[in-house]
Parts: sequence; C-alpha cells; structure tokens
Amino acid sequence: MGSKIMTKSPVPQNPMPAERLLELDDVHVHFPLREGLVKAVNGVSYHVDKGEVLGIVGESGSGKSITARAIMRLLPKRAAPPTGSIRFRPRTGEDFELSGLDRNSRAIRQVRGRHIGMIFQEPMTALSPVHTIGTQIMRTVQLHMGLGKVAARARAIDLLAKVQMPRPAQMVDAYPHQLSGGMRQRAMIALAISCDPSLLIADEPTTALDVTTEAQILELLKSLQSELGMAIIFITHNFGVVADIADRVSVMYLGRIVETASVDDIFYAPKHPYTQALLRSIPRLGVDQGRRLPTIPGMVPDPFSVPEGCAFNPRCGHAVAGLCEVRVPPEKRFGAQMSRCHIADQFVQEPANV
Amino acid sequence: MSDLPATSLSLPDDVLFSVRGLKKYFPIHEGWLKKHVGDVKAIDDVSLDIRKGETLGLVGESGSGKSTVARLMLRAYSLTDGQILFRRANGEIVDLSGLTDRQMRPLRAEMQMIFQDPYSSLNPRMTLLELVGEPMLIHGKGNDGEIRDRVAELLKVVGLRPEFINRYPHAFSGGQRQRIGIARALALNPSFIAADEAVSALDVSVAAQNINLLQDLQEQFGLTYLFITHDLGMVEHISDRVGVMYLGRLMEVAPTEALFSKPLHPYTEALMAAVPQPDPRGNRARKRVPLKGEIANAANPPSGCSFHPRCPYAQPKCSAEVPALRTVDGGRQVRCHFAEELSLVGAIA
Ligand SMILES: Nc1ncnc2c1ncn2[C@@H]1O[C@H](COP(=O)(O)OP(=O)(O)OP(=O)(O)O)[C@@H](O)[C@H]1O
Ligand SMILES: Nc1ncnc2c1ncn2[C@@H]1O[C@H](COP(=O)(O)OP(=O)(O)O)[C@@H](O)[C@H]1O
Ligand code: SF4
Ligand code: SF4
Ligand SMILES: [Mg+2]
Ligand SMILES: [Mg+2]
Repeated sequence: MGSKIMTKSPVPQNPMPAERLLELDDVHVHFPLREGLVKAVNGVSYHVDKGEVLGIVGESGSGKSITARAIMRLLPKRAAPPTGSIRFRPRTGEDFELSGLDRNSRAIRQVRGRHIGMIFQEPMTALSPVHTIGTQIMRTVQLHMGLGKVAARARAIDLLAKVQMPRPAQMVDAYPHQLSGGMRQRAMIALAISCDPSLLIADEPTTALDVTTEAQILELLKSLQSELGMAIIFITHNFGVVADIADRVSVMYLGRIVETASVDDIFYAPKHPYTQALLRSIPRLGVDQGRRLPTIPGMVPDPFSVPEGCAFNPRCGHAVAGLCEVRVPPEKRFGAQMSRCHIADQFVQEPANV
Repeated sequence: MSDLPATSLSLPDDVLFSVRGLKKYFPIHEGWLKKHVGDVKAIDDVSLDIRKGETLGLVGESGSGKSTVARLMLRAYSLTDGQILFRRANGEIVDLSGLTDRQMRPLRAEMQMIFQDPYSSLNPRMTLLELVGEPMLIHGKGNDGEIRDRVAELLKVVGLRPEFINRYPHAFSGGQRQRIGIARALALNPSFIAADEAVSALDVSVAAQNINLLQDLQEQFGLTYLFITHDLGMVEHISDRVGVMYLGRLMEVAPTEALFSKPLHPYTEALMAAVPQPDPRGNRARKRVPLKGEIANAANPPSGCSFHPRCPYAQPKCSAEVPALRTVDGGRQVRCHFAEELSLVGAIA
C-alpha cells in the first residue's frame, strides 16, 4: 500500500465492499458560464464492481462524458472544482480517493497510466500522430511496468496481437495515419490495456465505426474483459450496443442518473418513465409499432433552464402535479434496481416494448 | 421541355426512378505524371426501380456505395455508364444520364437530398429565411414577399415556429437543424427525396420525432424516399423495400418483411447477425457471428462474387463467376449463385 498516494478523505466513509472497484457518491461538476450555471453533473452516484461492465446511456449533453472525466481528473479548465467523493481500489489493493487528487498529481498520473485505461470515439485524441503505435505503447509500459526496451517492444507486439491487429510484428512500426479506422481503434485499445488496468473507461468507442467493425470491436472488448478480468464503463447512446455488452446499465438525464439496473431489468422492467419512453421510441426488429414511433414530447431543455423538481417532469406522462415539479425525487431502491422517480413503485414489470 | 433530348422512353406506371446498369468509376492517378493506374469501382452495375410513393431503404457497410448511388441519381456526379430514367411531375420520362448541368437545372427542383450532419450542411451565416428560401430564389419562384410567406409555411410544416425565420442555425439543436434541412429540401415541392443517414447522428428520442415527421410529410405530399442508413431497426421501420449493397453492387432487393425474416443473400444474413439489437435476451439467443475482416478494396475487388473471401458458404464457382442479379421467389432480387439452396437466418422470426 503506497501511503504517499493515499490522500486525506474529506468525509469519513464506510469502507468499500470487497468486490467494489469504483464508487461515486454525490458527484457534482458545474460550469459557471456567462449565460448561467451549467450543472453538467448534478449529484451522480454509481459504482462498478470488479470485472463487470457498467453501461451508461443517455442523450447528448446528459453528462456521461463529464462524469467520466471527473473520475480521471481531466475536467475542462472552465469547470468549477468538482465535489462529492470518488473512491477507487484497483486489483493491486491500494485505496485511492480520486476526488481528492489534483489533475497533475503524481498519484492521478499513476492511476491513469496504470490502473484505468480510457478509449474514445476518436482514436486520434489518444494516439500521437508523430510516433509509431509501438513507440507509444512501449513508453507507457516502460514507465508504468518498469519494462526494458526489448521486453516493452515484445509486449507491444503481444498487445497488438491481443487486439487482433493484422500482422502485429509489422504494424508495431506503423504510424496511426497508416491505419484504417477500425485498426486505429484497435491500436488505441492496445494502448489503453497495455498495463493491465483494472478499469477501462470507453466513451462512445464504436460510435464512429461501421456496423461490422463495431461488432468486431464489441466482441474484442468482451473477450478482453473476461480474459483480463477488467471492468468496463461503457458510455454510449446506442441501446443495441449497451444491450449487447453491459451487465448493468445506468441511464442519465440532465446531469443525474435516473435509473440503474441489470441490463435485463432496464430493457424488460424499467422503473423510470424516461427509460420507458426512450425504449419505446426505438424501432425494433420484428416489433410492429405501427406507422408512428411513440415519442417523448418536447425536447431536452437547454442546460441553463433545467426544470425544478424532477427534471423530466414537463415531458413525463406520469407526472404528479404538486409533487414532481416541486420535489427532486429520491433514489428509490428495489433490490439491485434504483429509480429516481416519485412513483417508481407503481411500475411493476411494465414491459417497455408494447 | 424543348432543350431536353427528345425521347421515347417508357417506365411502368408505378415507377418514379429506374436505374439501369449504373456504373461509377473514380480514376486513380499516381506519380508525378498523374498516370491513370486504375479505378475505384464505387458503383459497378446497379439496377434498381423506385416506385412512386414508396420508401426504399439502402443498407450496407461503409464504402459499399450507398451515398454514391444517391449522388448519381441526383446527378451530383457524372456517370461512367448506365441509364437513369426519371418520371417528371408533368408525366414526361427523361434519361438523366447524359444531361448537362444546364439541362439538369429545371429537374433539380423535383429531387432533393437531406444529409446526416445537420451542422455542416447549413451555412452558419444564413438566416432560416435565406437558407430555406434560397432554392426558390435560385429557381426564380416568387418575389420576396411570396418567398417569406412560403418559408414561414414550410417552417410550420416541419414543426418549427415561423417566428424563428430571422434566426441563424447555430441557435438550434441538432434535431431542429435537421428540420431546417428538411424544410429547405421541400421548398420546391420535390417528388423525390434521398435521405443519407438523415437521423443517424441524432439522439434516439429526436430521431424518432424526425422519422415521424418524414413519414407525415411523405403522406401529406406523396413523396418518394430513398432512405440510406446503417440502422437496421430504423430501416425496417420506415422502408417498404430494402436494397443491400456490397462493394458497389446490389446484393439483394426485397420487400422489408421478407428480407428481415428470410434473407436470400449470405451478406444480408451476416449483416443482420452482426448488428446488436436493443434486446439483451435476443442478442444472447441469436448466435451473433461478427463478419470477419473488412470490406475489400473497391480499386481491386475480388474476382467472381465480391463477397466470396468473407462468405461462409463460398464454393469454387464463387471466385470464378460473377453472379448476376437474378429475380427469384416472387419478385425478389438476389446476386448469389446459391440463393435457392441456402437456408439463411433472418433477424426476425
Ligand atoms: N469522390 C470520390 N473519389 C474517389 N473515390 C470515391 C469518391 N466518392 C466515393 N468514393 C469511393 O466509392 C466507394 C463508395 O463510397 P460511398 O461514399 O458511396 O459509400 P457509402 O456506402 O455511402 O459509405 P458510408 O456508409 O461510409 O457513407 C468507396 O470505395 C469510396 O472510397
Ligand atoms: N468545456 C465545457 N464548458 C462548458 N460546458 C460544458 C463543457 N463540457 C461539457 N459541458 C456541458 O456539460 C454538459 C454535459 O456534457 P457531456 O458530459 O459532454 O455530455 P454527454 O457526454 O452525456 O453527451 C452539457 O450541458 C455540456 O454542454
Ligand atoms: S418523478 Fe414524476 S415527473 Fe419525474 S419521472 Fe417520476 S412521475 Fe415523471
Ligand atoms: S455467390 Fe458464393 S460467395 Fe457469393 S454470396 Fe453466394 S455463396 Fe457466397
Ligand atoms: Mg459524450
Ligand atoms: Mg455514405
């Protein structure tokens, strides 16, 4: 246990359960802008257990990426200092209070390089255009795993083989621009998993890919996850993808998690009207929804005018006057399912796709 | 139209567009002499009818040629070969393939395109009045007052408030910008609209609203759509018939339900197996075999059936002979030597 990486926790907390890898508690990230205050992340709590895949879905602007960047301490400069607690315990056993770490601290750089890998929609945000992919992987493993040059190169080739890069022994010397989109995505994954991280944060990693390449990358991530025992936070707005890869799913709306449940409960027994409405609006194969898709009335409000009470209330068909526009719904729990809706207990196994 | 070549072309009564033997090769030049060393065969022998009032979906991997087909039909590109017959609103049938830009001009009003990226396809320095009114201005349809009235009406038609007429596109969300693009496409009363990944970049709830809008407009104005997408759920929802493209060729064309329940081409089956659906139990039950490898290089397509290097059913004949697009099983079309013998699995029961 490297005591120098432990930081003083602002609030005394109960110990994390043994299976816990990451725990966010009431995390806030606000942007004080000229036009007003944007509460991009407005009290987010979730956890990830060792080796599981947590899917995060939600429409653009709901705060998925900013939450991920709060974990990595890589928030945009304009953000106010985030609040809330983020605890992380990689498989090496140290306890990190990420919420107490500065974006440039030694400890967070160690966490980023060694324990948490990150992949993005656009591979070039993670890869340097002026170095070969081999050089980039070698640097990381030399720095964080203390490997020598020869061992590092061998590991780079191994990793490229692991992500099913064709001809890894040659591709190790390729520059990113020489690769196709799918191959670049594989190179970025190889870099992200190079030090055997306990957690991989994947922010829309397949959104820009072609359907068949997307399917290949999903298969790859699933096999790496089971082979390496790595947990994944998979951020996407594609419900097909999340149904395919996630064990549990959290749904975000306007800076809050409105529902978290097992992937089956999210799809077959959602207990939040927003989840239910979203699922109804997706056309599904073999399900005749008639000519019109059921839609959610109105649009996502702009971040400066988030409604009082339950932020979904102006668009919600179940809203209870005098309650929903006044009080923020608490997190209601039903076993492993959580719904932030005042009337969540009324949704008994409501199938979303009828 | 006096300046169009005189024709005695004919089309079946219910057909709006008929594409025959369409080819588009993009030349590859190399070296300092810019020597012509080969061609990207972006479209290689595509034949297709689009019926009046229908929605024809077009699916296929990236690079298969979907957008190029649409651009050729609208004559945004010149053809390498083939015929494009189009039935005008006045009943006249024209072959667009050889027309000059000047000859195409009056016809452009009748066919429009809407695009994926609502951000880059609208000039940020133009107001909605200018953006939506521009096609009318160009085609000399109405004076300032008439154009303003028509733009206000079009904004209403696509569900935007007419008071927005003097605003700029940056003030709108992605879904609303898409609607501005739709209003612009409708300005000249087209009969045909090609929608290229029109809702692919939108969030699911916004995509659903805009899909409903497109269907309402189709009903209201009798529009015919070519709907290009990689979203199989969406294409199943909106299309009457679906064409499946691979490496510049149509591999299969069929009525939507038939295609999804009983594909006749191995590539169609593979595509359906690859795409995860919003149904975790279904995904687990289906054997999801991701298609191996990548789409081949269109500059150097495989011999015979261009799908053969990735096809699990390939036989020796497949690399030797190019299969023709044949009509089988009650009007379906398929380009596979063994379509009748294979028993393929669809995405729906
Ligand atoms: N202007 C061009 N010059 C050279 N090659 C081109 C040009 N436009 C398209 N191509 C090539 O033609 C083929 C078909 O491209 P097209 O854009 O029609 O594919 P698509 O099916 O629309 O793909 P996507 O799903 O990525 O939009 C590809 O091999 C592409 O590289
Ligand atoms: N650099 C920034 N400055 C100001 N606001 C930002 C910045 N980055 C994100 N936001 C705002 O934070 C909110 C959440 O953004 P984000 O996490 O990127 O959403 P998602 O990933 O769910 O699409 C949005 O309202 C967005 O406009
Ligand atoms: S709290 Fe009220 S408004 Fe919010 S989702 Fe539940 S019923 Fe709808
Ligand atoms: S022709 Fe042969 S290679 Fe092509 S799809 Fe049919 S079986 Fe497969
Ligand atoms: Mg994001
Ligand atoms: Mg395209």
